[in-house]
Amino acid sequence: MPIISANLTRSGGMPTAEELRDRLLAGQTLLADTPNHLMQVVDVLESYGEVLDAYSINLIYQAEKQFLNPLPVWKYFDGDLNPARLWRHLIHDRINFEYAEYCQKAMFWHGTGGLDTYLDSEAFLQNCAAIIQRKTRRDPLLALLHPLFPGFILELIRSAATTHALGQFWRVMSDLFLDLARAEKDGRVTSIAAVVDFIQAGLVAAAAKPIIYGVEVGGESFWVLPPEAALTFLVDVAVPYVEAVFLRGMPFLGTVSFNAQAQQISPDQATFAYGALYADPLPTMGSGIPPSLLMQDMYRHLPERLHRWYDSTTRGEGDVRVKICMSFQKSMFCVTNAAIAGTFPHPLDSSEPSEQKANQAYASAWAERLARSRTDCLDASDEAPGRTGA
Amino acid sequence: MSDALPLPIQLVWLIPIYGFSGMLLSMPWATGWIKRNGPRPAAYLNLLVTLLAVAHGSLIIREILSLGPQHLDIAWFRAADLDLRIGFDLSITNLAALELVTFMSLVGQFFALGYLDKEWSLARFYALVGFFEGAMAGVVLSSNLFMSYFLLEMLTLSTYLLVGFWYAQPLVVTAARDAFLTKRVGDVLLLMGLVALSAWAGSTEFTDLYTWAAAPEGGGSLGPLAGTLLGLGLIAGPMGKCAQFPMHLWLDEAMEGPNPASILRNSVVVTCGALVLLKLMPLLRLSPLAVTVLLVVGTISALGGALVAIAQVDLKRAFSYSTSSYLGLVFIAIALQQPFVALLLLFSHAMAKALLFMSVGSVIATTNCQDLTELGGLGSRMPATTSAYLMAAAGLTGVLPLGCFWCFGLMVETLGRLAPLFAAVVLLTNALTVLNLVRVYRQVFLDTSHPKTRRAPEVNWLMALPMVSLSVIVGLMPLIMMRLVPVPGIASFSPLTATLVLGSGAIGLGAGCLIRLDKFWSRSVLKPLRTVQDLLAYDFYTDRIYRATIVTFVASLASLTNAFDRVVVNGFVNRIGSASMASAESLKLGVSGQLQTYLLTVLLAIVLLFGSLSWLHG
Amino acid sequence: MLSLLLLIPLLGAFLLLFWPGQPVPGRMRNVAIAVLVAQLLWSLRVMLAFDIHDGGMQLRESLQWVDSIGLDYRLGIDGLSLPLVLMNGALTLVSAVCTRDISQRPRIYFALLLLISGAVNGAFLAENLLLFFLFYELELIPLWLLISVWGGAERAYAATKFLIFTAVSGMLILGAFLGLALFTGSVDFSLTPIMSERLAMGSQLLLLGALLVGFGIKIPLVPFHTWLPDAHTQASTPVSVLLAGVLLKLGTYGLLRFCLGLFPEAWALVAPWLAIWAAVSVLYGSLAAIAQRDMKRMVAYSSVGHMGYILLAAAAATPVSLLGAVFQMVSHGLISALLFLLVGIVYRKTGTRDLEVLRGLLNPERGLPFTGALMILGVMASAGLPGMAGFISEFLVFRGSIAAYPVATLLCMVGSGLTAVYFLLLVNRAFFGRMAITPPSDPQRDARLDIELAPVASRETVPAMALALGVIAIGLVPLSLGRLSESSSTAMAQLPALVHVIAQASQGGLG
Repeated sequence: MPIISANLTRSGGMPTAEELRDRLLAGQTLLADTPNHLMQVVDVLESYGEVLDAYSINLIYQAEKQFLNPLPVWKYFDGDLNPARLWRHLIHDRINFEYAEYCQKAMFWHGTGGLDTYLDSEAFLQNCAAIIQRKTRRDPLLALLHPLFPGFILELIRSAATTHALGQFWRVMSDLFLDLARAEKDGRVTSIAAVVDFIQAGLVAAAAKPIIYGVEVGGESFWVLPPEAALTFLVDVAVPYVEAVFLRGMPFLGTVSFNAQAQQISPDQATFAYGALYADPLPTMGSGIPPSLLMQDMYRHLPERLHRWYDSTTRGEGDVRVKICMSFQKSMFCVTNAAIAGTFPHPLDSSEPSEQKANQAYASAWAERLARSRTDCLDASDEAPGRTGA
Repeated sequence: MSDALPLPIQLVWLIPIYGFSGMLLSMPWATGWIKRNGPRPAAYLNLLVTLLAVAHGSLIIREILSLGPQHLDIAWFRAADLDLRIGFDLSITNLAALELVTFMSLVGQFFALGYLDKEWSLARFYALVGFFEGAMAGVVLSSNLFMSYFLLEMLTLSTYLLVGFWYAQPLVVTAARDAFLTKRVGDVLLLMGLVALSAWAGSTEFTDLYTWAAAPEGGGSLGPLAGTLLGLGLIAGPMGKCAQFPMHLWLDEAMEGPNPASILRNSVVVTCGALVLLKLMPLLRLSPLAVTVLLVVGTISALGGALVAIAQVDLKRAFSYSTSSYLGLVFIAIALQQPFVALLLLFSHAMAKALLFMSVGSVIATTNCQDLTELGGLGSRMPATTSAYLMAAAGLTGVLPLGCFWCFGLMVETLGRLAPLFAAVVLLTNALTVLNLVRVYRQVFLDTSHPKTRRAPEVNWLMALPMVSLSVIVGLMPLIMMRLVPVPGIASFSPLTATLVLGSGAIGLGAGCLIRLDKFWSRSVLKPLRTVQDLLAYDFYTDRIYRATIVTFVASLASLTNAFDRVVVNGFVNRIGSASMASAESLKLGVSGQLQTYLLTVLLAIVLLFGSLSWLHG
Repeated sequence: MLSLLLLIPLLGAFLLLFWPGQPVPGRMRNVAIAVLVAQLLWSLRVMLAFDIHDGGMQLRESLQWVDSIGLDYRLGIDGLSLPLVLMNGALTLVSAVCTRDISQRPRIYFALLLLISGAVNGAFLAENLLLFFLFYELELIPLWLLISVWGGAERAYAATKFLIFTAVSGMLILGAFLGLALFTGSVDFSLTPIMSERLAMGSQLLLLGALLVGFGIKIPLVPFHTWLPDAHTQASTPVSVLLAGVLLKLGTYGLLRFCLGLFPEAWALVAPWLAIWAAVSVLYGSLAAIAQRDMKRMVAYSSVGHMGYILLAAAAATPVSLLGAVFQMVSHGLISALLFLLVGIVYRKTGTRDLEVLRGLLNPERGLPFTGALMILGVMASAGLPGMAGFISEFLVFRGSIAAYPVATLLCMVGSGLTAVYFLLLVNRAFFGRMAITPPSDPQRDARLDIELAPVASRETVPAMALALGVIAIGLVPLSLGRLSESSSTAMAQLPALVHVIAQASQGGLG
């Protein structure tokens, strides 16, 4: 049978901003509601939940126990240093915590939202001054460096604060995704719309959860993010996280040139479109594509059902991590969907014209941004016949 | 091989093998055979074998210090009058270069652990670096031109693969291609020189070649044309490797590759190229023109590179052009038969430039940005990076009494006597480099912070540790140089020379502090100034000149040949074919028809054959 | 001993033809592979019996056949033919192994494959001119059938072209052999050099000319090359492997054995012109390759270029250059077979070989990364990068030829540089960048394209991997091959008259 190359390529749809807006306003899900999508999304989120659990534990450990450690050689061990774990670390039989740090860096670097504003506040600087004073008393290296480079320790504490906040955020998300998987198994969740509702409910329930962070220096306890800063889960961490990781992201060395003369990267971070919703899944596992680390981690925690389905499509095990990435992108659209639905300024069924208008404006703003994202994954064209087997 | 030699020396052939074995050891991960576990073991294994290479190298140095220089070789291929050997020249210079190569490789690989921490193709990267290191270790120890050529070409290949590491990125695709082709042009010319030398002199051992070149019946019997062509061929290879004008473009484009590879490329790879040229230096007596070309190329590269560097807005490129510039100075020293100065300059440059690129890598890793106009205010927050930059800058220039100050002093002193013009080139290059370093320092580390540098913590320990260690070593460089050059000592120049070097540095420093840097001025509104700025920023438009000349030439020649092939050669054949087959249609006769025609012809031929033969026989 | 090298494949062909029952493709293939493995093992056995210090013909076998016309069955092997016999065994095996999706007439297909292999062995081993000619012709028809029955869409045109060209080649060669008998008046078809005492220089030049054109078509040399790109593009992958790897070598073998070996004096006279011809061929092939869009055509034109080196080496006829010629035959055989195999894999998976359409095939999960890695190795070997077979071959050729023909040698080196240009274009276009198999259109659409190629099973790459290992082995340990051929190539270069004449000629200023 001759091979026609056109049959080997496939492109999903490209809904316009108007279509997306209408779907959001009508309360429809962005992702096509099919049983296969449900399976992909729930199962990939389950493995994501497992991975986030490990990430969250490690980030919180790093922020609390490796605070201002100049040589954090054992930072990925969660304080559990034993020969077996060391060996597994050496043969790289472990979770890629580097990816968690990468997300932390993205969030810190983009610096949006309430947490970031607090990091520049007077109260925060005072807390830091106390910590630094206590720390430099015992630590000659830092005592020497601090006067020479006054911003050094401060910046490290800010970074640690973001690390801890992200750890707390992922704690919630991990539990939520694992709950979702249980709910689907119990038959409580049977459609994509139910998935979006479930996540939305989870986010709303956690919205007001306080984000706090304290460290112990020289036997003394200090607040870095005190309760009185009143930082909360949804607005101060979740929203900046979505902005930094889902939407903006950071350019991948493997696909974008950093050459200043080529001007491929915008000077304005706000216009960045490299995030999870925009990234191209095809080069996954290639060089210079950081999300490969996450795909590998999820691959190692893949639920049986999803794994079987992957094995039966396209190249089976051969391109499983690209397929994970595609499912993951679908599931991230569901999460975004839930976040948007949960943050509409007014209820969608409101009949007040001014409220409707505000809702429309909000939906338009989102639709405008999403129209350029990888919306081709939203339809179910990947379930077309002829894809199975190789 | 004599049995009397100590074991480390007898096992010297292992030294390049360490690097190559690193490549082989990385294969299970690089090819994806190991799927469930990550690629880091490949990195650890490579670090381990590199460490072995460093240790083995220092053992050999200890033995050589007591035994004196040694030479070892093994037959590789022999046929008729051709004898190709794997040879190692264990002199202190070569071994120092070896230690430089292996040590920098070690430091670079350690740095890469941090810089590429979120890279899934880590194993492929380390495999390539291992290959790279093996080839370089072989080049510096090589005792014959054949082996040097062999390994230089391997370097070309691994440069191509390393630059092409992020193969899905569009600019990488062209960068890798250009890097390979530019170096290949130099290599083919060098191959021509090598083949000619091998045929004329009968050997490719450097010592035999020196004897041959000096003998009246050897090099003396060459005609002036042959001598000149030979000389030009021999210098072309190192010119390409050292990114000298007009073959410098690839180094700029190669900055698309991963930064840890840039560290190696800008420090030790160019050094390898220059070392080969140093080994060829005694042969240059055959060709006065080649010496002139070296001087001209060196001068243009030194000054042009320094000027172009100042006009760059890209952090990495601002320093890659400076590499061309320093290697230009090395070329001048070699052309004027000053191997010692050339070597010292190579060593101090390699150390300081590697450190500079580490600092640059840290900035990029933290800010995701290479654009100088978007950087600023990092100085107070990144102690390791900032101090590494300052230490590298001081080590690279003649401002403080670190590495390059002593080199420049010696160079100005000797050149001042031989050719004062070139002493001025050295001083000018020094001033321009200082200017460039100061302007970049002001933009990146001082200034106020910009959006992309607003949140900039120091890099992780895997990058900071090698950076700090190398800073210390660059700081101690004068002491190391003193041990390398006991007589006449690195300070054997007059106070006047010292004043000149410091003065040129001070002028650069002053100018660097005074020039305006804001975005508005980065491209002036004054037309003449803007023209000059653009000319420098785009590297004298060299890429466009290439495209307009050589690329167009080859491309049009190719399409001309292709058209000729299709229209004339093929057309002619088709016409003959149609004519002989009575009609054009019969060309498309069924399979059986053709077979019958053919069998008939063959039968006829055989009948004829038999007939004629029996007639002859009878 | 040598006769078995003919008998194994020929008997194998008959075995297949008369295999009882319905031909099952898989079984036919297995039988063919078994026969070819036996042939390869026996070739290795011959190699063990071979004395590397003897430069002449060894292990000779002779049988009176048709004595009246001087057609004797005489076989012998020397350092020139041994590597080629080994390569024939290996590459026919490779092409049988990589024949996978053959649905029609497997019985005949594999029988023809075996027939070709046997005939080629015969041609390499023949010590009689007429015997050589018989085998030379015997290999033609099966190959023509392989192209015209199992080829691509335009196969009729390509096969006819191939047939006409090679038939002319055969006629010229036969004519020259007969002419030899006619001019010398004796029916001695042994491989004895013809000196001017026996035959006037004019007649020698005439006969040599006919042979040169005859073999020049087969090699092929510019301007007789035009059948090759068409034949390659229409032939299936295994046939291309065989054609490039083995059958072209019949031409270069004939060049060395019959042109240089029979007419050393006349050869020395025309050698300077041959060197120029070589340079033209090299540059022409390389330049034409740059302009190609079809990967297979590009590789085919590169063959034209690379065969030019052998003519150069033969023209110089020094011990080193002739050894280089043997090396070049072997390395070109391995490398071009490797490249055709890889292009074949790409074609089988993507349905196209168009360089404007293929991009980013190195993609690790969805693309053809391992094929791509081998392709990079293959093109680098072809471009003469050290550590692989191409480099040492080219080095020997250039090193052996530069003293005799400096300008032609330098031009050939430029051609070697051009090889890097077109092959780098091939790799960069087809394997680097974001993966796609469509002509570039709207960048946003291209970036969203999902591509689903069938995976490359590891058994598909096994033959290519074996060839790649061979290429590296010869590149790193050239002595292995060098020892086999050195005595013979030295002996050949020292045909006394030749040395004498060349010495005179160079005094006359031809050098």
